[in-house]
Amino acid sequence: MKSKLFFGLLRVFLILVVTTASTLAFGAFIDDQRAVFTTIKAKVEAMGPKIIADSNDDSKLAQYRIELDKLAKDVLDVAVAFRPRLAEINKRLTDLGPAPAVDAPLETTAVSDERKRLATEKSAINALLGETEDLSIEANKQVDDIAERRRNLFAADLTKRVDIKTVLASEVGSAAREEAATLVKMVNSWFTFVTNFKLQSVLGATFFALLSAVIMFIGGSRLFGRFYSRDARSDDPSYLSRLSVAFWSTLIPTTTVAIFLTVSYFFFDYFKVLRPDIREIFISALSTIAIVYFVYRLASAVLSPDMPNWRLLPVDPRPGRLLVWLVTATAIVSGLDTFTNVINEVLGSPLSLTIAKSLVGTVLVGVLVMAISLVKPSQQSSVASVSKLNFRNGLFVLGLLPLIAALLGYIGLARFISQQIVITGAILITMYLGFKSAQSLSSEGAFAVSSIGKSAQRRFALDDLGVDRLGVLASIIVNLLVLIIGIPLILLQWRFQWDDIRSWVFKALNGFTVGSVTISLIGVITGIFMFALIWALTRWFQRWLDGKVLSRGKIDSGVRHSIRTAIGYAGIALAILVGISSAGIDLTSLALVAGALSLGIGFGLQNIVSNFVSGLILLAERPFKVGDWIEAGSTAGIVKKISVRATEVETFHRQTVILPNSELINAAVGNWTHRNKLGRIDIPVSVTYGSDVRLVQAVLMDIGRSNPMVLKSPEPFVLFAGFGRTALDFELRVHLNDITQSPLVQNAVRFAIIERFNELGIDIPVPARDIAIRGLAGDSISLTGAVLTSTTAIEKAKPVRKTPAKSLKA
Amino acid sequence: MNKFNVALAAVLMMTGAASAASVINRDADAQTLIVTEGASKSELAVGPGETVEFCSAGCFVTMPNGDRQALTGSETIEIKGGVGTIK
Repeated sequence: MKSKLFFGLLRVFLILVVTTASTLAFGAFIDDQRAVFTTIKAKVEAMGPKIIADSNDDSKLAQYRIELDKLAKDVLDVAVAFRPRLAEINKRLTDLGPAPAVDAPLETTAVSDERKRLATEKSAINALLGETEDLSIEANKQVDDIAERRRNLFAADLTKRVDIKTVLASEVGSAAREEAATLVKMVNSWFTFVTNFKLQSVLGATFFALLSAVIMFIGGSRLFGRFYSRDARSDDPSYLSRLSVAFWSTLIPTTTVAIFLTVSYFFFDYFKVLRPDIREIFISALSTIAIVYFVYRLASAVLSPDMPNWRLLPVDPRPGRLLVWLVTATAIVSGLDTFTNVINEVLGSPLSLTIAKSLVGTVLVGVLVMAISLVKPSQQSSVASVSKLNFRNGLFVLGLLPLIAALLGYIGLARFISQQIVITGAILITMYLGFKSAQSLSSEGAFAVSSIGKSAQRRFALDDLGVDRLGVLASIIVNLLVLIIGIPLILLQWRFQWDDIRSWVFKALNGFTVGSVTISLIGVITGIFMFALIWALTRWFQRWLDGKVLSRGKIDSGVRHSIRTAIGYAGIALAILVGISSAGIDLTSLALVAGALSLGIGFGLQNIVSNFVSGLILLAERPFKVGDWIEAGSTAGIVKKISVRATEVETFHRQTVILPNSELINAAVGNWTHRNKLGRIDIPVSVTYGSDVRLVQAVLMDIGRSNPMVLKSPEPFVLFAGFGRTALDFELRVHLNDITQSPLVQNAVRFAIIERFNELGIDIPVPARDIAIRGLAGDSISLTGAVLTSTTAIEKAKPVRKTPAKSLKA
Repeated sequence: MNKFNVALAAVLMMTGAASAASVINRDADAQTLIVTEGASKSELAVGPGETVEFCSAGCFVTMPNGDRQALTGSETIEIKGGVGTIK
């Protein structure tokens, strides 16, 4: 009793100590979090006026958006930080249980105080969480607001019309000269600053950048060189190898250049060489160079004017070279336009100058695109197909668009179109290459000759069919990859927000509701994947069990087969169940449907179900196994396969008979090789009356014994079967170890009988009958009748030879 | 086996691209959560025994019993007796 009291007091004391300590610690924690929250809140609230002030500056809005995204995440982090404490409080509240009812015995004050304290703390946290939630909504609203403003800005930019005449009438020339002078001055001052104070840094940065470029270049060509070196000797490279060369020869050098530029920027930035104004110009110059280089590589790869064998499009070398230059020029013009725009922004140039410059740039792009469309790709113009002509016409119209837009004064629109012609065009062509390579991968036998296909074949020991299937799979994956990478890239180019794209993807993957059923792509994919996974596991387990475990023990092949089949079916059933449930389909609703349908199934699928159950019984009971010689009804043959619905039997004529399992269960089935292959064959022999029957018996016995395939025990037996009407009937009965050898033994025995009988002069009777014809002087009709009768008599005599069907069958 | 690996990679990639929080209702009645995602608040009804995916990139949830929680977008919530617990 005392000890109980003592422990009770101890518990109260401990609770008090622990809770006081944690309350103190936690009070500090909640205050800290509140301080963080207040800072974030101040930042978010300061954002609103900024957005309104800079609502015409797209780049600033973009930057605010990034900041707000980060703030929203910080808010979330503040809220998430309370999770462990909340879990702790909830757990302790559950442990303490609910407050006692009014008439219930009172609890100790320590417990009720504790409950009260926990509730207070929880409500404090909940309140702060509510505030964070509101702040998160506020931040996200501002994000939406920015998106809306940027969209409007973009639309306004595209639809804004300027009067070209007044712009051009103003002093554009002098403005341009002034701009150029300012730029030179700016770059000069930066350069002086750099040479005077940062020379070492610049040299270091340049050195590192060059070093990384050299490493990239050498490493790239070492690693991937063999992928894209064109073999001049190759007369007719396959389409797939041409494609892969085009792809890699675009990708690797472009990546090298891009990495070089990024590294240069990184080091220049790291050594603080770049001033803010110079930095923007620098970045723009670098990205322009990267894009122009990419377009140049892509055009050369596709058209390959120097090695016509390796080209992807049927364009002759001369127009090909021209096209490569035209395409590159388009990219350069468009890139320069973007680049100078940045300079204009940095320098704060007069609007007229920007417009005049963009006018020139966009018109040039339009003209270049039109020029591209006018280049005749091949001398053999007669083979030019309609689609090619349509393509060129379309390109011409596309070139006309920025031209018209620019001349009408829609400079923003014109600039957007000309940029998109270059960038979206390049992405589209790359995607097209991807699709083409997927298509050629899936064509028959293409994957097998590619290097990946060859190595896969070697490594996984696949047959041609397997490699071909792998090719189809690879093509599907390539298609998907091209779509997954290409579409967001293009959407981003067209000023869609990354978050929008992500939420679309999320919505598409996570379900659209049809009625009350939500179909989720992820769910379906997961379901299929789980099904495939479990099925593959089953197959693996089956193989392992069969090959490693069952083959060791002295297990009958029938049992092995049954076990393997049963595991296979169980695995598929399991895979289907798991697949369905992980696809998000509720199994209970399926059970309901199954219950309703079971009656219908019971009637409609009676036969199938009965065959199915029979199949299961066959597997369990094993009246016969694969390789057995069975006779079921009129079918006799070797069992080839026992499935769950039907059993395949191959007759001795090599005809495959598919026997429904229910027939094998319901009717009698003869199995010659059930437990063993032992069997008896009977060979009837007849000798004429007057033969020495003892000699016949001895000879037959001897023949039976002397055959090596005949068993010694039970030993052969000669049956004196009876006194026939024309002959004495014997039967030689021999047992064979392997009944499947019966035709050979029968043959050997019969040949031996004839030979020995001939030697010993024992006759085998031919049915003969004496016909006495009475009343010969009478009419001829009776003779015919007599002849007929005698024929009948001969036919009747035939069965006397007794050749049982059974022994013939084999 | 290669096929299998590729399929595995593809599926993992896809699920990785769209990981989300999920809520499972173990109660016999439908339960309603209030989910604040982005700038909008919405009610999410979860039927008995149902599992629903939501919240692709961080959100606030108010449980049926009034408890609040913040999610980063990969948690699993289990509702039992109107009380939501993060697993």
